[in-house]
Amino acid sequence: MADVVVRVEDLHKSFDALEVLKGVSMEVQRGEVVVIIGASGSGKSTFLKCLNRLEEPNRGRIFLEDVEITDPATDLPKVRRNIGMIFQQFNLFPHMSAIQNVMEGPRTVLKMSGEQARGHAEQLLDKVGLSDKLDVKPGQLSGGQQQRVAIARALAMEPKVMLFDEVTSALDPELVGEVLSVMKQLADEGMTMLVVTHEMQFGERVADRVVMFDEGVILEEGPPDKIFQRADNERTRRFLNQLHWEGD
Amino acid sequence: MKYQWHFDVVWENFPIMLSGIWLTIVLSILSMLAGAILGMVIALARLSPWAWLRGLAYCYTELFRTTPLLVQIVWVFYVLPLVTGIAFSPFYSGLVAFGLNIAAFMAEIYRAGITSVGRGQTEASLALGMTNAQVMRRILIPQAVTRMIPPIGTMWVSLFKDTSLVSAIGVTELMYQARFLAVDTYRPVEIFTICALIYFVITFPQSIGVNWLYHKYRTRE
Repeated sequence: MADVVVRVEDLHKSFDALEVLKGVSMEVQRGEVVVIIGASGSGKSTFLKCLNRLEEPNRGRIFLEDVEITDPATDLPKVRRNIGMIFQQFNLFPHMSAIQNVMEGPRTVLKMSGEQARGHAEQLLDKVGLSDKLDVKPGQLSGGQQQRVAIARALAMEPKVMLFDEVTSALDPELVGEVLSVMKQLADEGMTMLVVTHEMQFGERVADRVVMFDEGVILEEGPPDKIFQRADNERTRRFLNQLHWEGD
Repeated sequence: MKYQWHFDVVWENFPIMLSGIWLTIVLSILSMLAGAILGMVIALARLSPWAWLRGLAYCYTELFRTTPLLVQIVWVFYVLPLVTGIAFSPFYSGLVAFGLNIAAFMAEIYRAGITSVGRGQTEASLALGMTNAQVMRRILIPQAVTRMIPPIGTMWVSLFKDTSLVSAIGVTELMYQARFLAVDTYRPVEIFTICALIYFVITFPQSIGVNWLYHKYRTRE
């Protein structure tokens, strides 16, 4: 049996009358990098937020390894420790320095000692190239630096899977590369990742599998060269074409 | 006709005025403390996941925000003993009325402060595996406090002046002593002028302080 980390069965989610997810199923293998693409409103961000139940699904089941996340009896905070999440708007804690942000999870949630958490956090900030910014508050960091702190903060919990929700969309163009490099490094180290993004080059180079969302369902999926070069579905091809501006 | 001012009656009776000032200060501080603590409970109720508890807390705050403070004070003094069988001295009646009243306003300040912290902060904290209580304690409250300080200052200043209303139920604070002396000395003009001046001298620096707080915390954001 394959080593499945995340399994989603027939996921449905509505906001009032608006049905955003209309039955999505997916399996993610350990170490796999799944890049999720699709137009705004196709449900890809909502899908990610359902995985750790920041959004409550209406129907369907989600498993992390053998724990059912959607089971009402599940200890939700305990499961969430294992699912790292990075947000479009970084969402760093502004009242804490970079290193305090990274230590917060281990200290408060895992009850790790201060020394141990600090040592670990220093390593992680070094890994994302910010060893000179340990005591700087988020407000004094660039967007790219903030997002790298956010990645270190998620890594500090040693998650089994990481969810990236359009993590470069709020960045100035010249800061996108530094964040993608860190993500590529994580992928190379074997991290299991679900990445919602509009960075198609990242998808082409790093993804093991590309999944195209359209109007709340998975329209098509496959290896990156297949999806980006020879997508079966007309709508996928049209979506990808719209991303390239070819002049008048 | 020209009025002959005789401020000497004020100086002669100044110890009585001083005892009134002292009680005004004590009542203000104790009311603020009681309101700050009870207000926290009500704010948590308003932010709770249970609709019935939110509704109850909402009714509480609206009840105290939509009835005159003087009515609340008089009600606590005259009616509450009949309903509960517990009679308080005028001072404690005043304290209970102010405590309950301030709690309603403090609850709103706390709630507004907490909800002003963006949804993203809660999401990021929950995603790390924090419980709701940990999110509140580690992330929301520390960020909300700086936004609460200026409105709390404003409320404190109006509370300090509003304590004069308990003279109506016989609490011997500054306003009560002034009324007593006005009758006793036949010099209401001088007495009430000095009384107003005392309130001004104590309140004005605090008001300046509150403006400074607003400025400080606004420029920081």
